[in-house]
Amino acid sequence: MSKTLICSCEDVTSDDIRHAVSKGYCDVESVKRFTGFGTGICQGKGCLSAVAALLCKEKAQKPAGLLPFTPRPPLYPTELSVLASMQVDESQPPVGGVPEELAVFPPALRSEGTVPAKAKVVIIGGGIMGLALAYNLSLRGETDVVVLERGYLCAGASGRNGGGVRMQWGTSANIELAKRSIELMGRFARDMGINVWLRQGGYLFMAKTKAVAQRLERNVALHNKHGVPTRLLTVDEAREIVPGLSMAGAQTASYNPEDGVIFPWPFLWGYANGCRKAGIKVETFTNVTGFETSDGLVRKVKTDRGDIACDTVVLASGAWSPEIAKLVGVQLPNEPHRHEILSTEPLKPFLSPLVSVLDSGLYFSQSMRGEIVGGMGDPKEPAGLNMGSTLRFVSRFSQALMEQMPHLGHVKVLRQWAGCYDVTPDNNPVLGRTPGLENLLQMSGFVGHGFMMAPAVAERMAGWMTTGESDELFTRFNLRRFQEGKLEREDMIIG
Amino acid sequence: MRRLPDAAARGKSITVDLEGETVPAVEGEPVACSLVAAGESVLARSIKYHRARGPYCFSGACSHCLMRVDGVPNVYTCRTPARAGMKLERQNAYPSAKVDVFEAIDWFFPNGLDHHEMFAGVPVAEQVMAKVARQLAGLGLLPASPAPERMPVQTLRTRVALVGGGAAGLAAAQVLASQGVSFLLFERESVLGGRLVAGAPEPDAPKMMDTAALPSGSVRTRATVIGLYDDEAGRFLAVVADGPEGLRLLKVYAERFLLTPGGHPPLLPFENNDLPGVYAGRAASLLMRRYGVAPEVAALVGWGPELYALARLMEEHGTKVAAVVDLKGPVPSGAPAGATQGSEPKAHGRNEVSGFSYADASGKRVKVDCDAVLVAVATSPSFELARQGGAKVEFDEAREVFAVVADADGRTAAKDLYVAGDVTGGRSTAEAAADGRRAAEALVGSLTGGQS
Repeated sequence: MSKTLICSCEDVTSDDIRHAVSKGYCDVESVKRFTGFGTGICQGKGCLSAVAALLCKEKAQKPAGLLPFTPRPPLYPTELSVLASMQVDESQPPVGGVPEELAVFPPALRSEGTVPAKAKVVIIGGGIMGLALAYNLSLRGETDVVVLERGYLCAGASGRNGGGVRMQWGTSANIELAKRSIELMGRFARDMGINVWLRQGGYLFMAKTKAVAQRLERNVALHNKHGVPTRLLTVDEAREIVPGLSMAGAQTASYNPEDGVIFPWPFLWGYANGCRKAGIKVETFTNVTGFETSDGLVRKVKTDRGDIACDTVVLASGAWSPEIAKLVGVQLPNEPHRHEILSTEPLKPFLSPLVSVLDSGLYFSQSMRGEIVGGMGDPKEPAGLNMGSTLRFVSRFSQALMEQMPHLGHVKVLRQWAGCYDVTPDNNPVLGRTPGLENLLQMSGFVGHGFMMAPAVAERMAGWMTTGESDELFTRFNLRRFQEGKLEREDMIIG
Repeated sequence: MRRLPDAAARGKSITVDLEGETVPAVEGEPVACSLVAAGESVLARSIKYHRARGPYCFSGACSHCLMRVDGVPNVYTCRTPARAGMKLERQNAYPSAKVDVFEAIDWFFPNGLDHHEMFAGVPVAEQVMAKVARQLAGLGLLPASPAPERMPVQTLRTRVALVGGGAAGLAAAQVLASQGVSFLLFERESVLGGRLVAGAPEPDAPKMMDTAALPSGSVRTRATVIGLYDDEAGRFLAVVADGPEGLRLLKVYAERFLLTPGGHPPLLPFENNDLPGVYAGRAASLLMRRYGVAPEVAALVGWGPELYALARLMEEHGTKVAAVVDLKGPVPSGAPAGATQGSEPKAHGRNEVSGFSYADASGKRVKVDCDAVLVAVATSPSFELARQGGAKVEFDEAREVFAVVADADGRTAAKDLYVAGDVTGGRSTAEAAADGRRAAEALVGSLTGGQS
């Protein structure tokens, strides 16, 4: 059948690019994510310029707005076994990272004109939190809402995570939120008209030390109490679920078959489309520059595309939240921490669950496209908004992955990238009102699991905002808890 | 494709195992080259539509030649030297790549498929699609065996790290050598020279230098740079070197980085541009000049001096040139006879190229028979490394490519990073060599503490 390929690695045609443009995806990064061009084996070597030329020809983008999507190392597919050959000094913190991410996107990418002069609700942050909240507000009849996003949709952590969704948490609050989120994810395609590829292959947690093993054992009882069918596995059972998995050194493993993985990007597009259909404005490539306050209330949100007078402001900017809160004189306890991640060449399905070693934070799963997607936190990572990639990470990860899956040494890494966790002192979110600025609502601090919590949290928050009925979620995770010292720590953190 | 009559002397005749069949090959040449020379044009099936694929770029910049080689999935056969008895398998096809039932997907979706909206929210269909999609996704099966133990990483330090041993890189190396500045040059290919030895000869091209005159140990071939990183000890190149003891990771710290990696052969969007038998122009000249493999009858399409230089090279070696179609025009004086301005090119053929057509100046479609379509267009600058290192990259509207922004001396937005040659946009080899010299001189001037 006659076709005009523009990205032959992923079988993307010129018409697919035009289709993306017709749907409103006009910048290179968005077109890449929507069509998949440039995400295959060659990582855009053969297609990137051709796509830019087509966007230029179709007048989808001004030449000044045509930027190459961020080139990710490695430049050529590189075997895990080769990357694993570098020893890392674990006693030292990681330094640097490439490439530098854009602090500010070129103004050419913005749509013409100013932002609305007023709105009832301004949501700062067009990640999954902000968009899901805006959409849920519209379901409750509130459509006088503006969402502000500094980059393209998916530019932040919502577009950079591994897509894991799980009910295996250490606290009742998180278990219940995750259960509801996964339920909503299961019907997302029906509700929003876009596939999110939820695949419930389970989460398999391994414990290598006694303390962590005890934590998993305790959790099983808690999970079962909440109706989550988590169970402990024997070595043989674990190896049956994941052929080739090395259980050497493992004390125990827990498994919930109802956990799974999703494809993160369409959630943002789906929510954003839902918002726009309801008349909500989603303003991308727009930066918040300050606030106007009086009498203990935020009166205006200032942006580089005009000011918006408003009744309520929601801060849902993930790792950028402390920075933005500072503009209005609010000190948040959150800290951004870089977490690196990588993706391999696509392989035929061989791995059903997401596997994680809770002790080290190693996790890996196989995406719907067949890639192994995984990461591992670095205990020495300093705080800061750094989204660069390091050789140290790929080496540490490759070693850790090959320890669990020794037969994967020939598998090649295609690209690595990083995102920022939005870390709080107790690993729990910051939600609810801000002391001293009653109409500034907080919705941040989700420590790397915001994506999977967002559908449920946004639903609760929209209800709380529109009905005025009290909801314990917004007192339990209120900012005041840090002063009052009422912290209930979540310790099931990976990545 | 055929071997030129004088090709026998280029290496030892061996055989390789292609899915149980014995196929003749020449030891050491890219095995994809041996396969096409032996008449095996379909090496793979594409990831989504299961379209037939054969090698296109011969530079590891596409995915058309990926095969399972000795039990390892997704190996670039265009970069894998042929070895006697090596086992080659085509991937992503059932029952075989030649007759793949999943090619039906290509026919079911003549206008492409939107996987975002297909069956979204349709009960049952949605679940069935997810199951089917997972089974169809992915390319290649797991490796058959664990990887061998790799040698430990090697750390090297030098004043200047050079990436790419083409016209620009070699000219720069000569300057550095003559000024006594220590350097290490990394070249991905097994031989130096780039277009000087593998491109279509340009009338004003500089002569290939005597690389033996470069300081011993300063040049590493078969060494692929995979990233420009930084850590507590400074900025370094990560390099995967392929040697007799296997693959080895190198960390190369340097005071300055001079990037002359050239460009990637882009895929020109036209109908059936992925059909086996469509080759990048630079792939065709490489096959002809280094391995003595060439089409019987070729149609050439593209623009710029490389299009005509390639036509001359093909004709000189006995390939019949059925058409030379300049998509930008007008056809320059001195162009090979029959060259014409045209538009809307299209490759024809079922599983491999059997013809080529285009619209002439009057809009009439003209069709010719051929066994190869050669695409000679502006190279796509290999800006990735420079961008990782902090250089600025802009879209060049006239050339329709992204290129690294640099001044005339190759300085970029990053202080320790210089560039020269194709990476700054399409350059002739003479221009690239001049760029390389200038950049090396500017770079030496920027070094503190004199030369060593």
